[in-house]
Amino acid sequence: MLKKKCVAMLLAGGKGSRLSSLTKNLAKPAVPFGGKYRIIDFTLSNCTNSGIDTVGVLTQYQPLVLNSYIGIGSAWDLDRRNGGVTVLPPYAESSEVKWYTGTASAIYQNLNYIEQYAPEYVLILSGDHIYKMNYSKMLDYHIEKNADVTISVIEVPWSEASRFGIMNTNENMEILQFEEKPANPKNNLASMGIYIFNWSILKEYLEMDSRNPESSHDFGKDVIPLLLEEKKRLVAYPFRGYWKDVGTVKSLWEANMDLLKEDCELNLFDHSWRIYSVNPNQPPQYIAHDAIVTESLINEGCVIEGTVEHSVLFQGVHIGKGSIVKDSVVMPDAVVGENVYIEKAIVPSNIEIPNGTIIRPEQSFDEIILVTKELLEKQEPERMSSGE
Amino acid sequence: MNKTMLGVIDATKYIDALEPLTINRCIAAIPFAGRYRLIDFVLSNMVNSGIESVAIFPKYQYRSLMDHLGSGKNWDLNRKRDGLFFFPSPDLNMPYDHIGAFEHFEQHVDYFLRSKQKYALICNSYTVCNIDYQMVLKRHIENECDITEIRHQGKSLEMFILETSLLLDLIINRNETRYMSIVDVVRDHRHQLKICDYEYCGYVAVIDSIDNYFAHSMELLHPMIWKQLFDKLRPIYTKVKDEPPTKYTGEAVVKNSMIANGCMIEGHVENSIIFRAVKVGKGTVIKNSIIMQKSQIGENCELDCVIIDKDVKVENGVTLRGTARQPFVIRKGTVQGALMNL
Repeated sequence: MLKKKCVAMLLAGGKGSRLSSLTKNLAKPAVPFGGKYRIIDFTLSNCTNSGIDTVGVLTQYQPLVLNSYIGIGSAWDLDRRNGGVTVLPPYAESSEVKWYTGTASAIYQNLNYIEQYAPEYVLILSGDHIYKMNYSKMLDYHIEKNADVTISVIEVPWSEASRFGIMNTNENMEILQFEEKPANPKNNLASMGIYIFNWSILKEYLEMDSRNPESSHDFGKDVIPLLLEEKKRLVAYPFRGYWKDVGTVKSLWEANMDLLKEDCELNLFDHSWRIYSVNPNQPPQYIAHDAIVTESLINEGCVIEGTVEHSVLFQGVHIGKGSIVKDSVVMPDAVVGENVYIEKAIVPSNIEIPNGTIIRPEQSFDEIILVTKELLEKQEPERMSSGE
Repeated sequence: MNKTMLGVIDATKYIDALEPLTINRCIAAIPFAGRYRLIDFVLSNMVNSGIESVAIFPKYQYRSLMDHLGSGKNWDLNRKRDGLFFFPSPDLNMPYDHIGAFEHFEQHVDYFLRSKQKYALICNSYTVCNIDYQMVLKRHIENECDITEIRHQGKSLEMFILETSLLLDLIINRNETRYMSIVDVVRDHRHQLKICDYEYCGYVAVIDSIDNYFAHSMELLHPMIWKQLFDKLRPIYTKVKDEPPTKYTGEAVVKNSMIANGCMIEGHVENSIIFRAVKVGKGTVIKNSIIMQKSQIGENCELDCVIIDKDVKVENGVTLRGTARQPFVIRKGTVQGALMNL
């Protein structure tokens, strides 16, 4: 293997249980986003656009779709002769099967993957976030600051700081303390779960952590506090721009709606920072004569015969005559029948919504509805009584 | 029974009536149906019919065609065994412009000599349809034909099936037989070969003039027609572009139109075909038109019955009008200013 300056390790084994039925058969990084993408496309595209061509993707939970989606990485130009993308599932050793019990243990189990490239730096990423970031700038910063570890941070509103892992820093951005979801935050710089380690430090501390029976083998809970305790040089890298954890149905919906803003911070149309994905190769969308489409993002293969207002539609979606889809996200190949009304909902892939169905939030709730087969069955009597 | 076929796409033909769309590209590379090039249809049909070895014979202006096809990956033709072959004509002055000219094939006869496939399918590059060539081959074999010609409503689609060995015979002995192309053989009756017709009943568009390019494009807006052409089980492949989904703003009004990815629609679009990454500005009204890739239409423009080639910039407030019989064609890469067409 040729030596690499920096190897990326992408943690993609998350279950994303707060995404409810969306992640029943799907790892969170494979959840569809933005009319065409899956969440992991953003991190993989960031790697390619930042000039990082060696990426280990750690998978564990429901990996079928994710693995076949990543394939040999050609969609992101990561099908390389030397390096490229490698999917790293947990594996069995002669004595036992070693599941990834935490983020640190996942990397620890794959130290030999990193070793073969003998890198100077290791970039640790999570496949759960929507953002565009140039990792090579962060690496320059890491080198310039002469850091052992650099952690990317983003300013969050003070009122929300207690929901995040908060970095307490001095004026030189050196990290003094890390607090996971502090009740009384002293700072508003939240960790984005993006770390650059000097390879020697990472190896040493992961080995140390693996020997500690008390450890939960998590970067945030165990490894970072240990490094601070040992007075290693940890530096915060301030990131400015769009960054969103789409861990809940509501935040996934919000992030999709963000794309519809006129001055959207996350510009998908920027040719200099393309977000790559596996292209579905479907014909252009067809907007019928009586259709109305406004303030929406619509992907190829869609057929629109009704009204689509302020919504995101993935490939192959069909909206029937007389139907209204408003403030919603409709995932690939969903078929919305005729005279359907959908408002503030996420419609998952491949679902069929019968004619006359009405899905809207109850006035008293600020809830986003995740449409499921069970929900549609419950709707049945209402549809019948409406005299369809 | 050996049912393997070679796919041979003859892209040597130049048709004057398609200018100015062919000024920078060969006919095979003319953009069609919002995101495709004409060759995508015949090539996808071949791949969907199980053909694994495709030879393309281009002659004029094939840079854009080569760029489009690349290694053949998008058609699953980047194979170790067989795959996509590109055989440009070494001589532009050869006078044979019938489809299936043996002179062109002779220049690369090794391909035919080395291939193991029993049958060869020869097609032009500008016939748009969604056809299963295995059905044609089945009939060809059942009826013990020597050459089968595919037709639509009696008109030749310039698609022929014959045994590779017969094709080689015809190529090698062309000076003795005086048959210079496959068309010469099919049209002549002085030989002993059994020539059969296969009538294809699905939708067909033969693109051989600007008028019918425009008319056939507009036909695609009929759901009955695009459903036939874009069969989900027999997809048409093309070069993928990583464009984001198309964005419609609050002012957008779109009716009866086919719109590809990566567009930004802020105006009014009706009965039109919009290719990938096109921008339509505020207050602009586009009707009965075809706007090709990456063209930018400014604000408050009025476009009716126009074909706008790739990379055209139409400045704010421009009016461009053609008629359904004579669409107004704007050449690739030009700028249309407000005062230019008065």
